[in-house]
Amino acid sequence: MSDIDIKRISYLAKLKLPLEKEEFYSNSLKDIIKWVDNLKKVDTSRTEPLHNVTKKTVSIRNDEVSKSNSVDDVLSNAPERAQNFFKVPKVVE
Amino acid sequence: MSNNWEMVIGLEVHAQLKTSSKLFSSSPNQFGSEPNENVNFIDSGMPGMLPVMNFGCIEMAIKTGYALNFKINKHSVFERKNYFYPDLPQGYQISQFEFPILSEGYINIESGDNQKKIRIERAHLEQDAGKSIHDIDPKYSFIDLNRVGTPLLEIVSYPDLSSADEVINYISSLRQLLMYINVCDGNMQEGSLRADVNLSVRKKGQELGTRCEIKNLNSFKFIKQAIEYEFQRQINIIDGGGEIEQNTMLFDTSTGETRAMRSKEFSHDYRYFPDPDLLPVNLSQEQIDKVKPLVGELPQDKLKKYLDNFSLDKEIAKIIIAEKQNANLFEKMISESTVKPKFIAVWLVGDIFAFIKENNLEVNSLNDKTKDITDLLRLISDDVISNKAGKEILPKVLNGEGKPSELVKKLGLEQVSDSGELEKIIDEALVGEEENILKFQEGSDRVLGYFVGKCLKATKGKGNPKLINKILLERLKK
Repeated sequence: MSDIDIKRISYLAKLKLPLEKEEFYSNSLKDIIKWVDNLKKVDTSRTEPLHNVTKKTVSIRNDEVSKSNSVDDVLSNAPERAQNFFKVPKVVE
Repeated sequence: MSNNWEMVIGLEVHAQLKTSSKLFSSSPNQFGSEPNENVNFIDSGMPGMLPVMNFGCIEMAIKTGYALNFKINKHSVFERKNYFYPDLPQGYQISQFEFPILSEGYINIESGDNQKKIRIERAHLEQDAGKSIHDIDPKYSFIDLNRVGTPLLEIVSYPDLSSADEVINYISSLRQLLMYINVCDGNMQEGSLRADVNLSVRKKGQELGTRCEIKNLNSFKFIKQAIEYEFQRQINIIDGGGEIEQNTMLFDTSTGETRAMRSKEFSHDYRYFPDPDLLPVNLSQEQIDKVKPLVGELPQDKLKKYLDNFSLDKEIAKIIIAEKQNANLFEKMISESTVKPKFIAVWLVGDIFAFIKENNLEVNSLNDKTKDITDLLRLISDDVISNKAGKEILPKVLNGEGKPSELVKKLGLEQVSDSGELEKIIDEALVGEEENILKFQEGSDRVLGYFVGKCLKATKGKGNPKLINKILLERLKK
Protein backbone atom coordinates (compact mmCIF):
# COMPACT_ATOMS: atom_id res chain seq x y z
CA MET A 1 0.00 0.00 0.00
CA SER A 2 1.29 3.44 -0.91
CA ASP A 3 1.94 6.04 1.74
CA ILE A 4 -0.72 8.54 2.71
CA ASP A 5 0.15 12.15 1.92
CA ILE A 6 -2.17 13.64 4.52
CA LYS A 7 -1.18 17.26 3.74
CA ARG A 8 -2.13 16.85 0.12
CA ILE A 9 -5.37 15.07 0.92
CA SER A 10 -6.49 17.77 3.34
CA TYR A 11 -5.52 20.42 0.81
CA LEU A 12 -7.59 18.78 -1.92
CA ALA A 13 -10.56 18.43 0.45
CA LYS A 14 -10.14 22.03 1.65
CA LEU A 15 -9.96 20.80 5.24
CA LYS A 16 -7.73 22.47 7.80
CA LEU A 17 -5.87 19.83 9.78
CA PRO A 18 -4.09 20.71 13.04
CA LEU A 19 -0.48 19.55 12.95
CA GLU A 20 -0.87 17.27 15.98
CA LYS A 21 -3.81 15.46 14.35
CA GLU A 22 -1.96 14.61 11.14
CA GLU A 23 -0.58 11.33 12.34
CA PHE A 24 -3.89 10.23 13.79
CA TYR A 25 -5.80 10.84 10.54
CA SER A 26 -3.03 9.40 8.47
CA ASN A 27 -3.20 6.15 10.43
CA SER A 28 -7.00 6.07 10.32
CA LEU A 29 -6.98 6.41 6.56
CA LYS A 30 -4.36 3.69 6.26
CA ASP A 31 -6.60 1.36 8.24
CA ILE A 32 -9.58 2.13 6.00
CA ILE A 33 -7.60 1.50 2.84
CA LYS A 34 -6.18 -1.70 4.24
CA TRP A 35 -9.70 -2.91 4.89
CA VAL A 36 -10.92 -1.91 1.43
CA ASP A 37 -7.89 -3.62 -0.07
CA ASN A 38 -9.50 -6.90 0.89
CA LEU A 39 -11.41 -6.53 -2.38
CA LYS A 40 -8.16 -7.12 -4.25
CA LYS A 41 -8.31 -10.73 -3.17
CA VAL A 42 -11.15 -11.29 -5.60
CA ASP A 43 -10.08 -12.36 -9.08
CA THR A 44 -11.71 -9.86 -11.47
CA SER A 45 -9.65 -10.65 -14.55
CA ARG A 46 -12.72 -12.04 -16.33
CA THR A 47 -15.22 -9.46 -15.06
CA GLU A 48 -16.37 -6.36 -16.93
CA PRO A 49 -16.12 -3.13 -14.91
CA LEU A 50 -19.48 -2.25 -13.42
CA HIS A 51 -20.60 1.36 -13.18
CA ASN A 52 -23.92 0.74 -11.65
CA VAL A 53 -25.63 -2.21 -10.05
CA THR A 54 -28.84 -1.66 -11.97
CA LYS A 55 -28.89 -2.41 -15.69
CA LYS A 56 -30.91 0.74 -16.29
CA THR A 57 -29.91 3.66 -18.45
CA VAL A 58 -29.86 7.30 -17.40
CA SER A 59 -33.28 8.89 -17.04
CA ILE A 60 -33.87 11.65 -19.55
CA ARG A 61 -36.09 14.65 -20.11
CA ASN A 62 -36.94 16.67 -23.20
CA ASP A 63 -35.13 19.93 -23.83
CA GLU A 64 -37.73 22.21 -22.25
CA VAL A 65 -37.37 25.18 -19.95
CA SER A 66 -39.18 25.57 -16.68
CA LYS A 67 -38.50 27.93 -13.83
CA SER A 68 -39.31 26.84 -10.32
CA ASN A 69 -37.79 29.55 -8.16
CA SER A 70 -36.83 33.21 -7.95
CA VAL A 71 -33.39 34.82 -7.74
CA ASP A 72 -34.11 35.60 -4.10
CA ASP A 73 -34.75 31.93 -3.36
CA VAL A 74 -31.36 31.03 -4.75
CA LEU A 75 -29.58 33.80 -2.86
CA SER A 76 -31.41 33.24 0.42
CA ASN A 77 -28.69 30.93 1.76
CA ALA A 78 -25.79 33.06 0.56
CA PRO A 79 -23.50 34.18 3.39
CA GLU A 80 -23.38 37.56 1.70
CA ARG A 81 -24.96 39.05 -1.37
CA ALA A 82 -24.47 42.22 -3.35
CA GLN A 83 -27.37 43.15 -5.60
CA ASN A 84 -28.13 39.82 -7.24
CA PHE A 85 -24.62 38.40 -6.94
CA PHE A 86 -23.13 36.03 -4.40
CA LYS A 87 -20.39 37.95 -2.63
CA VAL A 88 -17.34 35.89 -1.63
CA PRO A 89 -13.80 36.60 -0.42
CA LYS A 90 -11.65 37.46 -3.42
CA VAL A 91 -10.25 34.48 -5.29
CA VAL A 92 -8.20 35.50 -8.28
CA GLU A 93 -6.29 33.16 -10.50
CA MET B 1 17.10 30.61 -34.30
CA SER B 2 13.54 29.42 -34.51
CA ASN B 3 14.22 27.92 -37.95
CA ASN B 4 15.06 24.40 -36.77
CA TRP B 5 12.31 24.45 -34.13
CA GLU B 6 8.78 23.36 -34.76
CA MET B 7 5.69 23.63 -32.62
CA VAL B 8 3.38 20.73 -31.85
CA ILE B 9 -0.14 21.71 -30.88
CA GLY B 10 -3.22 19.87 -29.68
CA LEU B 11 -6.46 21.68 -28.92
CA GLU B 12 -9.32 21.35 -26.51
CA VAL B 13 -12.27 23.26 -27.91
CA HIS B 14 -15.26 23.89 -25.69
CA ALA B 15 -18.47 24.43 -27.61
CA GLN B 16 -21.57 25.58 -25.75
CA LEU B 17 -24.55 23.65 -27.04
CA LYS B 18 -27.50 25.67 -28.31
CA THR B 19 -30.17 23.94 -26.25
CA SER B 20 -33.10 25.72 -24.62
CA SER B 21 -32.39 24.30 -21.17
CA LYS B 22 -29.28 23.24 -19.28
CA LEU B 23 -27.50 19.86 -19.32
CA PHE B 24 -28.97 18.52 -16.09
CA SER B 25 -31.60 21.09 -15.12
CA SER B 26 -34.49 22.82 -16.86
CA SER B 27 -33.18 26.35 -16.20
CA PRO B 28 -32.90 28.48 -19.33
CA ASN B 29 -29.61 28.16 -21.22
CA GLN B 30 -29.35 31.81 -22.11
CA PHE B 31 -26.58 34.39 -22.38
CA GLY B 32 -26.95 37.95 -21.14
CA SER B 33 -29.68 37.53 -18.50
CA GLU B 34 -29.67 39.39 -15.18
CA PRO B 35 -27.23 37.89 -12.61
CA ASN B 36 -28.40 34.57 -11.14
CA GLU B 37 -31.66 34.80 -13.07
CA ASN B 38 -31.25 31.35 -14.68
CA VAL B 39 -30.33 29.41 -11.56
CA ASN B 40 -32.36 26.74 -9.81
CA PHE B 41 -31.52 24.52 -6.86
CA ILE B 42 -29.76 21.90 -9.01
CA ASP B 43 -27.52 24.57 -10.58
CA SER B 44 -26.72 26.14 -7.21
CA GLY B 45 -25.69 22.76 -5.79
CA MET B 46 -28.30 22.51 -3.05
CA PRO B 47 -28.14 19.26 -1.10
CA GLY B 48 -30.49 16.53 -2.24
CA MET B 49 -31.14 17.92 -5.72
CA LEU B 50 -30.75 15.38 -8.49
CA PRO B 51 -29.54 16.02 -12.04
CA VAL B 52 -31.76 14.85 -14.91
CA MET B 53 -30.22 14.40 -18.35
CA ASN B 54 -31.40 16.68 -21.17
CA PHE B 55 -31.85 14.42 -24.21
CA GLY B 56 -31.40 17.44 -26.51
CA CYS B 57 -27.72 17.47 -25.53
CA ILE B 58 -27.32 13.82 -26.50
CA GLU B 59 -28.92 14.48 -29.87
CA MET B 60 -26.56 17.39 -30.50
CA ALA B 61 -23.58 15.24 -29.53
CA ILE B 62 -24.71 12.55 -31.97
CA LYS B 63 -25.12 15.14 -34.75
CA THR B 64 -21.60 16.35 -34.03
CA GLY B 65 -20.48 12.75 -34.18
CA TYR B 66 -21.74 12.43 -37.74
CA ALA B 67 -20.34 15.81 -38.85
CA LEU B 68 -16.85 15.22 -37.43
CA ASN B 69 -16.56 11.57 -38.51
CA PHE B 70 -16.61 10.23 -34.95
CA LYS B 71 -17.36 6.80 -33.65
CA ILE B 72 -20.60 7.35 -31.72
CA ASN B 73 -20.44 5.34 -28.51
CA LYS B 74 -23.56 3.56 -27.38
CA HIS B 75 -22.25 3.46 -23.84
CA SER B 76 -20.94 6.55 -22.07
CA VAL B 77 -20.58 7.48 -18.41
CA PHE B 78 -20.76 10.74 -16.48
CA GLU B 79 -18.12 11.24 -13.83
CA ARG B 80 -17.37 13.88 -11.23
CA LYS B 81 -14.27 16.02 -11.65
CA ASN B 82 -13.58 17.37 -8.18
CA TYR B 83 -12.15 20.81 -7.43
CA PHE B 84 -13.10 23.82 -5.34
CA TYR B 85 -13.80 27.21 -6.80
CA PRO B 86 -16.46 29.78 -5.85
CA ASP B 87 -18.19 29.59 -9.24
CA LEU B 88 -18.56 25.81 -8.99
CA PRO B 89 -21.20 25.39 -6.27
CA GLN B 90 -21.37 21.58 -6.44
CA GLY B 91 -17.66 21.25 -5.72
CA TYR B 92 -17.34 19.09 -8.82
CA GLN B 93 -17.96 19.38 -12.53
CA ILE B 94 -20.00 16.60 -14.09
CA SER B 95 -18.05 15.48 -17.14
CA GLN B 96 -17.21 12.33 -19.06
CA PHE B 97 -13.81 10.79 -18.54
CA GLU B 98 -13.16 7.15 -19.26
CA PHE B 99 -16.18 6.64 -21.51
CA PRO B 100 -16.89 9.71 -23.66
CA ILE B 101 -19.89 9.79 -26.00
CA LEU B 102 -17.68 10.31 -29.09
CA SER B 103 -14.27 8.94 -29.95
CA GLU B 104 -11.77 8.86 -32.84
CA GLY B 105 -13.02 11.47 -35.29
CA TYR B 106 -11.28 13.79 -37.75
CA ILE B 107 -11.76 16.79 -39.98
CA ASN B 108 -9.81 18.03 -42.99
CA ILE B 109 -8.42 21.53 -42.87
CA GLU B 110 -6.53 23.69 -45.33
CA SER B 111 -2.81 23.99 -44.79
CA GLY B 112 -1.20 26.14 -47.43
CA ASP B 113 -2.41 24.76 -50.74
CA ASN B 114 -3.02 21.31 -49.32
CA GLN B 115 -5.58 19.56 -47.20
CA LYS B 116 -4.48 18.18 -43.87
CA LYS B 117 -6.32 15.62 -41.83
CA ILE B 118 -6.56 16.55 -38.15
CA ARG B 119 -7.42 13.61 -35.95
CA ILE B 120 -9.72 14.16 -33.00
CA GLU B 121 -9.25 11.90 -30.03
CA ARG B 122 -12.61 12.37 -28.33
CA ALA B 123 -15.52 14.64 -27.55
CA HIS B 124 -17.46 14.54 -24.33
CA LEU B 125 -20.39 16.26 -22.66
CA GLU B 126 -19.83 18.32 -19.54
CA GLN B 127 -21.22 21.19 -17.49
CA ASP B 128 -19.88 24.71 -17.70
CA ALA B 129 -19.04 26.60 -14.48
CA GLY B 130 -20.33 30.00 -13.34
CA LYS B 131 -18.63 33.33 -13.66
CA SER B 132 -16.53 35.21 -11.10
CA ILE B 133 -16.34 38.97 -11.41
CA HIS B 134 -13.28 40.41 -9.71
CA ASP B 135 -13.29 44.05 -10.70
CA ILE B 136 -16.35 45.42 -8.89
CA ASP B 137 -14.95 45.31 -5.36
CA PRO B 138 -11.30 45.34 -4.19
CA LYS B 139 -11.84 42.75 -1.47
CA TYR B 140 -14.60 40.54 -2.80
CA SER B 141 -15.42 38.51 -5.87
CA PHE B 142 -18.99 38.58 -7.17
CA ILE B 143 -20.44 35.33 -8.42
CA ASP B 144 -23.02 34.88 -11.17
CA LEU B 145 -24.14 31.26 -11.54
CA ASN B 146 -26.20 31.71 -14.71
CA ARG B 147 -23.66 29.76 -16.77
CA VAL B 148 -23.51 26.86 -14.30
CA GLY B 149 -24.76 23.72 -15.97
CA THR B 150 -24.68 25.07 -19.53
CA PRO B 151 -24.01 22.07 -21.76
CA LEU B 152 -20.54 21.95 -23.26
CA LEU B 153 -19.10 19.58 -25.79
CA GLU B 154 -15.35 19.41 -25.27
CA ILE B 155 -13.60 18.39 -28.48
CA VAL B 156 -10.05 17.16 -27.94
CA SER B 157 -7.73 16.91 -30.93
CA TYR B 158 -4.55 14.90 -31.28
CA PRO B 159 -1.34 17.00 -31.43
CA ASP B 160 -1.59 17.16 -35.22
CA LEU B 161 -1.36 20.93 -35.62
CA SER B 162 1.95 22.64 -36.34
CA SER B 163 1.35 26.36 -36.81
CA ALA B 164 -0.85 29.19 -35.59
CA ASP B 165 -2.47 29.33 -39.03
CA GLU B 166 -3.35 25.64 -38.91
CA VAL B 167 -4.86 26.13 -35.46
CA ILE B 168 -6.99 28.98 -36.75
CA ASN B 169 -8.08 26.98 -39.79
CA TYR B 170 -8.95 24.06 -37.55
CA ILE B 171 -11.04 26.15 -35.17
CA SER B 172 -12.72 27.97 -38.08
CA SER B 173 -13.64 24.65 -39.68
CA LEU B 174 -14.98 23.27 -36.42
CA ARG B 175 -16.96 26.44 -35.83
CA GLN B 176 -18.37 26.33 -39.35
CA LEU B 177 -19.43 22.69 -38.99
CA LEU B 178 -20.99 23.17 -35.55
CA MET B 179 -22.95 26.15 -36.86
CA TYR B 180 -24.07 24.21 -39.95
CA ILE B 181 -25.53 21.41 -37.86
CA ASN B 182 -27.06 23.99 -35.52
CA VAL B 183 -25.54 22.77 -32.27
CA CYS B 184 -23.50 25.90 -31.38
CA ASP B 185 -23.98 29.57 -32.23
CA GLY B 186 -20.22 29.99 -32.72
CA ASN B 187 -20.18 33.34 -30.92
CA MET B 188 -16.63 33.50 -29.63
CA GLN B 189 -17.07 36.91 -28.05
CA GLU B 190 -19.79 35.58 -25.78
CA GLY B 191 -17.68 32.53 -25.03
CA SER B 192 -19.82 30.02 -26.94
CA LEU B 193 -16.61 28.64 -28.43
CA ARG B 194 -13.37 28.68 -26.42
CA ALA B 195 -10.07 26.92 -26.90
CA ASP B 196 -7.31 25.62 -24.65
CA VAL B 197 -4.03 25.30 -26.54
CA ASN B 198 -1.51 22.59 -25.64
CA LEU B 199 1.84 23.53 -27.10
CA SER B 200 5.29 22.00 -27.02
CA VAL B 201 8.39 22.59 -29.12
CA ARG B 202 10.95 20.25 -30.59
CA LYS B 203 13.77 20.29 -33.09
CA LYS B 204 12.47 19.04 -36.41
CA GLY B 205 12.08 15.28 -36.45
CA GLN B 206 12.76 14.76 -32.74
CA GLU B 207 10.53 13.44 -29.99
CA LEU B 208 7.73 15.45 -28.39
CA GLY B 209 8.78 18.00 -25.79
CA THR B 210 7.08 18.92 -22.52
CA ARG B 211 3.86 20.81 -23.16
CA CYS B 212 2.21 23.81 -21.58
CA GLU B 213 -1.49 24.45 -21.71
CA ILE B 214 -2.78 27.96 -22.41
CA LYS B 215 -6.29 28.25 -21.02
CA ASN B 216 -9.45 29.90 -22.23
CA LEU B 217 -8.69 31.72 -25.45
CA ASN B 218 -11.75 33.17 -27.10
CA SER B 219 -10.66 35.04 -30.21
CA PHE B 220 -8.61 34.16 -33.27
CA LYS B 221 -6.37 37.16 -32.64
CA PHE B 222 -5.54 36.09 -29.09
CA ILE B 223 -5.04 32.47 -30.12
CA LYS B 224 -2.48 33.52 -32.72
CA GLN B 225 -0.71 35.91 -30.32
CA ALA B 226 -0.63 33.39 -27.49
CA ILE B 227 0.78 30.64 -29.72
CA GLU B 228 3.50 32.84 -31.15
CA TYR B 229 4.50 34.13 -27.72
CA GLU B 230 4.50 30.71 -26.07
CA PHE B 231 6.48 29.15 -28.95
CA GLN B 232 9.24 31.74 -28.53
CA ARG B 233 9.14 31.53 -24.72
CA GLN B 234 9.74 27.78 -24.76
CA ILE B 235 12.54 28.05 -27.34
CA ASN B 236 14.24 30.76 -25.28
CA ILE B 237 14.15 28.58 -22.16
CA ILE B 238 15.65 25.57 -23.93
CA ASP B 239 18.23 27.65 -25.80
CA GLY B 240 19.24 29.19 -22.48
CA GLY B 241 19.95 25.71 -21.12
CA GLY B 242 16.69 25.43 -19.16
CA GLU B 243 13.93 22.87 -19.14
CA ILE B 244 10.22 23.33 -19.83
CA GLU B 245 8.08 22.80 -16.78
CA GLN B 246 4.64 21.37 -17.50
CA ASN B 247 2.36 24.22 -16.57
CA THR B 248 -1.01 25.76 -17.06
CA MET B 249 -0.63 29.22 -18.55
CA LEU B 250 -2.87 32.23 -18.72
CA PHE B 251 -2.74 34.64 -21.65
CA ASP B 252 -2.72 38.31 -20.73
CA THR B 253 -4.63 40.07 -23.48
CA SER B 254 -3.20 43.49 -22.59
CA THR B 255 0.48 42.51 -22.81
CA GLY B 256 0.21 39.67 -25.33
CA GLU B 257 2.21 37.43 -22.96
CA THR B 258 1.58 34.08 -21.33
CA ARG B 259 2.33 33.44 -17.67
CA ALA B 260 2.06 30.41 -15.42
CA MET B 261 -1.00 30.27 -13.16
CA ARG B 262 -0.28 30.89 -9.50
CA SER B 263 -1.25 28.63 -6.57
CA LYS B 264 0.43 25.53 -7.90
CA GLU B 265 1.72 24.11 -4.62
CA PHE B 266 0.19 20.82 -5.68
CA SER B 267 -0.49 19.65 -9.18
CA HIS B 268 -4.14 19.07 -9.97
CA ASP B 269 -5.76 15.88 -8.90
CA TYR B 270 -9.38 15.80 -9.92
CA ARG B 271 -10.16 12.40 -8.40
CA TYR B 272 -12.65 11.44 -11.11
CA PHE B 273 -15.26 8.86 -10.22
CA PRO B 274 -18.59 7.85 -11.80
CA ASP B 275 -21.38 10.17 -10.67
CA PRO B 276 -23.65 8.10 -8.43
CA ASP B 277 -26.58 10.39 -9.28
CA LEU B 278 -26.44 9.55 -12.98
CA LEU B 279 -26.77 6.13 -14.55
CA PRO B 280 -24.71 5.37 -17.66
CA VAL B 281 -26.03 6.60 -21.00
CA ASN B 282 -26.94 3.57 -23.09
CA LEU B 283 -28.10 4.39 -26.59
CA SER B 284 -29.75 2.04 -29.04
CA GLN B 285 -28.72 1.95 -32.70
CA GLU B 286 -32.21 3.18 -33.49
CA GLN B 287 -31.77 6.29 -31.33
CA ILE B 288 -28.48 7.05 -33.06
CA ASP B 289 -29.82 6.41 -36.58
CA LYS B 290 -32.78 8.68 -35.97
CA VAL B 291 -30.49 11.70 -35.62
CA LYS B 292 -28.64 11.18 -38.91
CA PRO B 293 -31.18 12.93 -41.17
CA LEU B 294 -31.02 16.00 -38.91
CA VAL B 295 -27.37 16.57 -39.83
CA GLY B 296 -28.24 18.01 -43.24
CA GLU B 297 -25.85 19.16 -45.95
CA LEU B 298 -22.36 19.98 -44.69
CA PRO B 299 -20.12 22.71 -46.11
CA GLN B 300 -17.99 20.28 -48.11
CA ASP B 301 -21.15 18.79 -49.72
CA LYS B 302 -22.29 22.25 -50.73
CA LEU B 303 -18.86 23.18 -52.11
CA LYS B 304 -18.89 20.12 -54.33
CA LYS B 305 -22.43 20.86 -55.52
CA TYR B 306 -21.63 24.50 -56.27
CA LEU B 307 -18.55 23.59 -58.28
CA ASP B 308 -19.98 20.57 -60.12
CA ASN B 309 -23.58 21.62 -60.73
CA PHE B 310 -23.39 25.41 -60.85
CA SER B 311 -19.79 25.83 -62.13
CA LEU B 312 -19.07 28.56 -59.59
CA ASP B 313 -15.60 29.96 -59.13
CA LYS B 314 -13.95 28.13 -56.23
CA GLU B 315 -13.16 31.34 -54.35
CA ILE B 316 -16.72 32.59 -54.74
CA ALA B 317 -18.18 29.23 -53.71
CA LYS B 318 -16.02 29.25 -50.58
CA ILE B 319 -17.29 32.67 -49.56
CA ILE B 320 -20.87 31.46 -49.95
CA ILE B 321 -20.43 28.24 -47.96
CA ALA B 322 -18.46 29.99 -45.19
CA GLU B 323 -21.68 30.51 -43.29
CA LYS B 324 -24.86 28.58 -43.55
CA GLN B 325 -27.01 31.69 -43.83
CA ASN B 326 -25.04 32.74 -46.94
CA ALA B 327 -25.69 29.36 -48.51
CA ASN B 328 -29.36 29.48 -47.54
CA LEU B 329 -29.82 32.90 -49.16
CA PHE B 330 -28.02 31.77 -52.31
CA GLU B 331 -30.02 28.56 -52.63
CA LYS B 332 -33.28 30.40 -52.04
CA MET B 333 -32.51 32.73 -54.95
CA ILE B 334 -31.61 29.81 -57.20
CA SER B 335 -34.80 27.99 -56.40
CA GLU B 336 -36.96 31.05 -57.06
CA SER B 337 -35.51 32.19 -60.35
CA THR B 338 -34.14 31.08 -63.70
CA VAL B 339 -31.18 33.44 -63.58
CA LYS B 340 -27.93 31.47 -63.89
CA PRO B 341 -26.55 30.49 -60.44
CA LYS B 342 -23.12 31.70 -61.49
CA PHE B 343 -24.50 35.15 -62.25
CA ILE B 344 -26.38 35.25 -58.93
CA ALA B 345 -23.25 34.16 -57.05
CA VAL B 346 -21.10 36.95 -58.48
CA TRP B 347 -23.65 39.59 -57.49
CA LEU B 348 -24.16 37.98 -54.07
CA VAL B 349 -20.52 38.01 -52.96
CA GLY B 350 -19.98 41.36 -54.68
CA ASP B 351 -22.53 44.14 -54.38
CA ILE B 352 -25.03 42.35 -52.12
CA PHE B 353 -22.49 41.39 -49.43
CA ALA B 354 -20.95 44.87 -49.70
CA PHE B 355 -24.39 46.34 -48.97
CA ILE B 356 -24.84 44.01 -46.00
CA LYS B 357 -21.46 44.98 -44.60
CA GLU B 358 -21.95 48.70 -45.13
CA ASN B 359 -25.30 48.66 -43.39
CA ASN B 360 -24.26 46.25 -40.66
CA LEU B 361 -27.03 43.78 -41.48
CA GLU B 362 -27.48 40.07 -40.91
CA VAL B 363 -27.36 38.03 -44.11
CA ASN B 364 -30.69 36.39 -43.36
CA SER B 365 -32.39 39.77 -43.09
CA LEU B 366 -32.49 39.67 -46.89
CA ASN B 367 -34.39 36.39 -46.99
CA ASP B 368 -37.66 38.17 -47.78
CA LYS B 369 -36.09 40.25 -50.57
CA THR B 370 -34.83 37.39 -52.70
CA LYS B 371 -37.61 37.69 -55.27
CA ASP B 372 -36.84 41.39 -55.87
CA ILE B 373 -33.14 40.68 -56.06
CA THR B 374 -33.51 37.95 -58.65
CA ASP B 375 -35.99 40.10 -60.63
CA LEU B 376 -33.30 42.78 -60.79
CA LEU B 377 -30.64 40.26 -61.78
CA ARG B 378 -32.95 39.00 -64.52
CA LEU B 379 -33.22 42.55 -65.94
CA ILE B 380 -29.44 42.81 -65.96
CA SER B 381 -28.77 39.42 -67.49
CA ASP B 382 -31.44 40.07 -70.16
CA ASP B 383 -29.71 43.37 -71.04
CA VAL B 384 -32.82 45.38 -70.21
CA ILE B 385 -30.57 47.50 -68.04
CA SER B 386 -26.80 47.83 -67.95
CA ASN B 387 -24.56 46.39 -65.27
CA LYS B 388 -23.89 49.91 -64.12
CA ALA B 389 -27.58 50.71 -63.82
CA GLY B 390 -28.03 47.46 -61.87
CA LYS B 391 -25.44 48.56 -59.33
CA GLU B 392 -27.30 51.84 -58.98
CA ILE B 393 -30.68 50.23 -58.41
CA LEU B 394 -29.58 47.34 -56.14
CA PRO B 395 -29.26 49.35 -52.88
CA LYS B 396 -32.71 50.85 -53.52
CA VAL B 397 -34.20 47.40 -54.03
CA LEU B 398 -32.51 46.13 -50.85
CA ASN B 399 -33.76 49.16 -48.94
CA GLY B 400 -37.26 48.30 -50.09
CA GLU B 401 -37.71 51.49 -52.11
CA GLY B 402 -39.62 49.74 -54.87
CA LYS B 403 -39.83 46.89 -57.32
CA PRO B 404 -36.87 46.66 -59.74
CA SER B 405 -38.98 47.22 -62.87
CA GLU B 406 -40.66 50.29 -61.33
CA LEU B 407 -37.32 51.71 -60.24
CA VAL B 408 -35.89 51.21 -63.73
CA LYS B 409 -38.78 53.17 -65.21
CA LYS B 410 -38.74 55.84 -62.53
CA LEU B 411 -35.04 56.48 -62.92
CA GLY B 412 -35.14 56.15 -66.70
CA LEU B 413 -32.41 53.51 -66.70
CA GLU B 414 -33.85 51.23 -69.34
CA GLN B 415 -31.36 50.45 -72.07
CA VAL B 416 -32.08 51.19 -75.69
CA SER B 417 -32.07 47.73 -77.21
CA ASP B 418 -34.13 48.61 -80.27
CA SER B 419 -31.71 47.89 -83.10
CA GLY B 420 -33.53 50.20 -85.54
CA GLU B 421 -33.11 53.13 -83.20
CA LEU B 422 -29.51 52.24 -82.47
CA GLU B 423 -28.68 51.88 -86.17
CA LYS B 424 -29.94 55.39 -86.76
CA ILE B 425 -27.80 56.79 -83.96
CA ILE B 426 -24.75 54.88 -85.13
CA ASP B 427 -25.11 56.00 -88.72
CA GLU B 428 -25.27 59.59 -87.53
CA ALA B 429 -22.21 59.10 -85.36
CA LEU B 430 -20.21 57.77 -88.29
CA VAL B 431 -20.82 60.82 -90.46
CA GLY B 432 -17.54 62.64 -91.10
CA GLU B 433 -15.44 59.85 -89.59
CA GLU B 434 -14.06 58.50 -92.87
CA GLU B 435 -10.49 58.81 -91.68
CA ASN B 436 -11.09 56.77 -88.50
CA ILE B 437 -13.12 54.17 -90.38
CA LEU B 438 -10.16 53.70 -92.67
CA LYS B 439 -7.85 53.31 -89.68
CA PHE B 440 -10.09 50.56 -88.31
CA GLN B 441 -10.17 48.76 -91.59
CA GLU B 442 -6.36 48.91 -91.60
CA GLY B 443 -6.38 47.03 -88.31
CA SER B 444 -6.51 49.61 -85.50
CA ASP B 445 -8.78 48.13 -82.82
CA ARG B 446 -8.42 51.19 -80.68
CA VAL B 447 -10.73 53.08 -82.99
CA LEU B 448 -13.56 50.69 -82.15
CA GLY B 449 -13.50 51.77 -78.53
CA TYR B 450 -13.66 55.36 -79.66
CA PHE B 451 -16.73 54.67 -81.79
CA VAL B 452 -18.51 52.69 -79.04
CA GLY B 453 -17.91 55.56 -76.64
CA LYS B 454 -19.21 58.09 -79.13
CA CYS B 455 -22.40 56.08 -79.77
CA LEU B 456 -23.02 55.45 -76.06
CA LYS B 457 -22.71 59.14 -75.47
CA ALA B 458 -25.21 59.81 -78.25
CA THR B 459 -27.69 57.49 -76.44
CA LYS B 460 -27.02 59.34 -73.18
CA GLY B 461 -25.47 56.17 -71.81
CA LYS B 462 -28.60 54.10 -72.24
CA GLY B 463 -27.65 52.25 -75.40
CA ASN B 464 -27.10 48.53 -74.98
CA PRO B 465 -23.32 48.30 -75.33
CA LYS B 466 -23.37 44.74 -76.67
CA LEU B 467 -25.81 45.67 -79.40
CA ILE B 468 -23.93 48.86 -80.26
CA ASN B 469 -20.76 46.84 -80.59
CA LYS B 470 -22.42 44.36 -82.88
CA ILE B 471 -24.01 46.94 -85.18
CA LEU B 472 -20.83 49.01 -85.27
CA LEU B 473 -18.77 46.04 -86.35
CA GLU B 474 -21.23 45.30 -89.14
CA ARG B 475 -21.10 48.89 -90.34
CA LEU B 476 -17.33 49.25 -90.08
CA LYS B 477 -16.52 46.03 -91.89
CA LYS B 478 -18.43 47.08 -95.00
